[in-house]
Amino acid sequence: MPFDKPQHVISPSLWALAWKRLVASRVAMVSLGIVAAFLMLIALSASGLIAKDWARETGVNYAPPSFLGEDIEQAGQPAAPGGPISASDKPTELPIQDPLADAIADIRGEKKAPGSEAPSGESQTVDPLADVMADIRAKGTQATVAETRASTLPFGADKWGRDVLKKTIKGSETSIFVGLAAAFVATLLGTVFGAVAGYYGRWLDDFFNWFYSVFTAIPYLLLILAVAAVLQQKGTLTIILILGLTGWTGTFRLIRGEYLKHKGREYVQAADAIGASNGRRMFVHIFPNVSHVVLVQLSIYTVAFIKAEVILSFLGFGVPVDVVSWGSMLNEAQNELILGKWWQLAAAGTAMALLVTAFSLFTDELRDALDPKLK
Amino acid sequence: MSLRASRRKLPGSPRSSRRNASRVMRSALCAATLLALAVCVEVVAADMNKVVRHVFPAAEEGFDPAAAHDLYSGTVEQAIFETLLTYDYLARPSKLVPLAAQSLPEVSDGGRSYTFRVRPGIYFSPDAAFKGKKRELVAEDYAFSLKRLVDPKIRSPWAWLLEGKIIGLDELAAAAKKSGKFDYDARLPGLEVVDRYTLRIRLKQPDYDLSYVLAHEPTSAVAREVVETYADVGGRVMANPVGTGPYRLANWIRSSKIFLEANPEYRGFTWNFKAGSDPEDARIVAEMKGKMMPQVGRVEISIMEEDQSRLLAFQNGELDLMNLEGPLAPMVMNGASLSGEMRKKGVKLSRFVDPELSYHYWNMTDPVVGGLSKEKIALRRAMAMAYDVDEEIRIVRNGQAIEAQYPIPPGVVGNDPAYRSSVKHDATSANALLDRFGYKKGPDGWRTLPDGKPLVLRYASRPDSLGRQQDEMWKKALDSISIRMEVQKDKFTELLKLEKQCRLQMRTASWIADYPDGDNFMQLLYSKNIFQSNNACATIPEYDKLYEQSIRIPAGPERDRLYHEMARIIETYAPWRLGISRYRNMLIQPRVLGYKKHPILHSEWQYIDVDTTGKGG
Repeated sequence: MPFDKPQHVISPSLWALAWKRLVASRVAMVSLGIVAAFLMLIALSASGLIAKDWARETGVNYAPPSFLGEDIEQAGQPAAPGGPISASDKPTELPIQDPLADAIADIRGEKKAPGSEAPSGESQTVDPLADVMADIRAKGTQATVAETRASTLPFGADKWGRDVLKKTIKGSETSIFVGLAAAFVATLLGTVFGAVAGYYGRWLDDFFNWFYSVFTAIPYLLLILAVAAVLQQKGTLTIILILGLTGWTGTFRLIRGEYLKHKGREYVQAADAIGASNGRRMFVHIFPNVSHVVLVQLSIYTVAFIKAEVILSFLGFGVPVDVVSWGSMLNEAQNELILGKWWQLAAAGTAMALLVTAFSLFTDELRDALDPKLK
Repeated sequence: MSLRASRRKLPGSPRSSRRNASRVMRSALCAATLLALAVCVEVVAADMNKVVRHVFPAAEEGFDPAAAHDLYSGTVEQAIFETLLTYDYLARPSKLVPLAAQSLPEVSDGGRSYTFRVRPGIYFSPDAAFKGKKRELVAEDYAFSLKRLVDPKIRSPWAWLLEGKIIGLDELAAAAKKSGKFDYDARLPGLEVVDRYTLRIRLKQPDYDLSYVLAHEPTSAVAREVVETYADVGGRVMANPVGTGPYRLANWIRSSKIFLEANPEYRGFTWNFKAGSDPEDARIVAEMKGKMMPQVGRVEISIMEEDQSRLLAFQNGELDLMNLEGPLAPMVMNGASLSGEMRKKGVKLSRFVDPELSYHYWNMTDPVVGGLSKEKIALRRAMAMAYDVDEEIRIVRNGQAIEAQYPIPPGVVGNDPAYRSSVKHDATSANALLDRFGYKKGPDGWRTLPDGKPLVLRYASRPDSLGRQQDEMWKKALDSISIRMEVQKDKFTELLKLEKQCRLQMRTASWIADYPDGDNFMQLLYSKNIFQSNNACATIPEYDKLYEQSIRIPAGPERDRLYHEMARIIETYAPWRLGISRYRNMLIQPRVLGYKKHPILHSEWQYIDVDTTGKGG
């Protein structure tokens, strides 16, 4: 009988199949391209190659975008104060006595500037720094030449005259970094908790379920605000922790379900039979089979947390004052809109809408690609 | 001196406030004011077809002068009730004039004894409580009303106005706390009703501010019969205000509408106020002079909480008067004047600087920024010089504020418009000063303390958009002198609590005049007010010495000289960096005549007229 030796067939892995399906989808590729472009942008900005000087005030206050042309009203106003001090601005003359003037002059080995000591009138007012100040003033405090500021910028300027384009890039860096990092923290927590609860069951399961119920019983935004109010300390790290520590519940439930399902499967029993430890069974045997769920969760969270950061910053609990994010830009836009300065809102809003939409579409496609049963 | 119990601080919106005291005791003024309020014997002129429609941005509590605490209730109370004294409608800075009193009080015993004569022939508006009898206002009514403020049952938010002042009154309140019943019939040595129309108030110590207290609406006269008829379990009469003033409450839909109508028993007066230096005054005098007041028969007040709705209602002509609050200003204003559209409609603007001051303080007990050693003074002064008030006014305040040169704002007795501060925005000098005192720059570019320890400033602000803008202003300022800054965010009430315990390092605070006297501002740095109103927790011996001198003398050039020195001490020791005073913008429809917002008085309806011919709009 003819006997055909069976060929050794390498069946493509889940990931390879998923990638093939992903490449086939045009939506997935376009959105992946946009997300990748944003990631490139923030990598460049984080390394200081672009938008490093976002805080420099390069334009006049509220400089409009170039295509709108110069703001006539604004142009009339001085870009920076520091003009000549008019006579009426001179401080009111008051007799000032400085008992320390001798000591200071002594220390400096100088002669007292004439006139630094006021006639010992009835005045008791004493300026302990009179001498130093007089000296500093005498050395000349020629107002630093006011740097020339552009009257228009490509995407306009904010109220201090900072370039909105650079601000948006820097803001993207903060917002996306916060979103990614917080999503990583939340997914990690959710996965570990879910794995432990689902795998071990019994009282550990009960404990984590109770924990989960407590977290989900509180309205999400309130929970975030409460944690933010308690933590006080402001900073990017704080926001990541707030979002990460409150956001793990969804992943927890999914992963716990997966582990409940998988722990009774034959391959796990087989692993048990060859003496694999609990930890090995949980993370080496079961985890790869649920990792696609984790990946999808990660990307869903990234989108959600970018939005959450925006909300937090908008409400004033967000990034500290020397950091810019999309949320803080939108917050500023509130007051600017009343003045008719729309460009900061437009820039931050467009950037956020673009990234969030692309990321969401990509996540959708990723989920489809990773779940063969859907096709 | 005194008046230093519960001071009100404003979160954001300017709150015209209160309190009072008398430093205006020049007989020349008395003569002028008597003329202005000459009693009229003719029939009251109010025309019921003349309606003024007003708006409040927040709901009222009720109309018991002793119990209501908010500005809006106070506004209505001022139209219904009468205090012994009030302010001249046009005089700026605010000037006390008699209202229910015949003249300004006779002050004797070195400021310890005040004698008022209530004008005879003033009647309460008719009410069922009087059982059909005409009820005249007498001195006893004021004694009764003042006692109500300290009645523990009423728990008046205004008790501090009188606490610790009037001989026998605190003891009476303490006895009432014990017995549970306030003895209104008690004869007090401090509140002596000499005869039907004469009230003599005797004080425990001299107090030049008492006259201001008696121009403040919590001290208005209420009738005892009314209180006994309508009082609730707390002894409050919130819904049945019966007074002697030009208006009475006609209808009240809580938190929605308040309707006032002219009081038929009101005696009226002839409009005869003198124009001040404001060019607008001449027009107002021309419109109003010689008219019998009040002219306006009805006042309708709506409550609208949304900024936008108020503005839209005004633009649609549904409102006659409106205070332009906060972020609305740039929508209808172009710098200091109304935008073209509003001007075309003939809308008028009453604009003045509120009697308020915002200032940036440093905690003088703080180990980093506090203290009177030279390097700490240098640090604070450098920070003060780094701050750009001009930019704050242009960008953050949209031009709706002026730079404060002097710690007493315009409109308050003691303000000196000619005074110029020695503190200027000058980052170069600030840096030079820090270099001189050894605040060296570290390898990271930030300055350190002279002993090499890191230097980080902690600025406290609220988590709203104004707070963020203040953060940014100070961040820019401190960046310009290479000092690192971090921000502490907390709710306003929480900040006030921490600040009272001297636990903040640096904050921007606001203060609005409780009474239009410079003392109300100068006391903010007096060391005995630490844990109360001295939020910089400052103890500057030179300042204290001058302040103690200043409270012993009435307002005048002598006190101004002391205030000048104190202002200079604030500049040289820099517990504060003076900030700004905001403008108040009142929008007025063209049909309203003679309106000018008073910095202290809340309601001006009795002083204005409405053009019903229709030509105004």
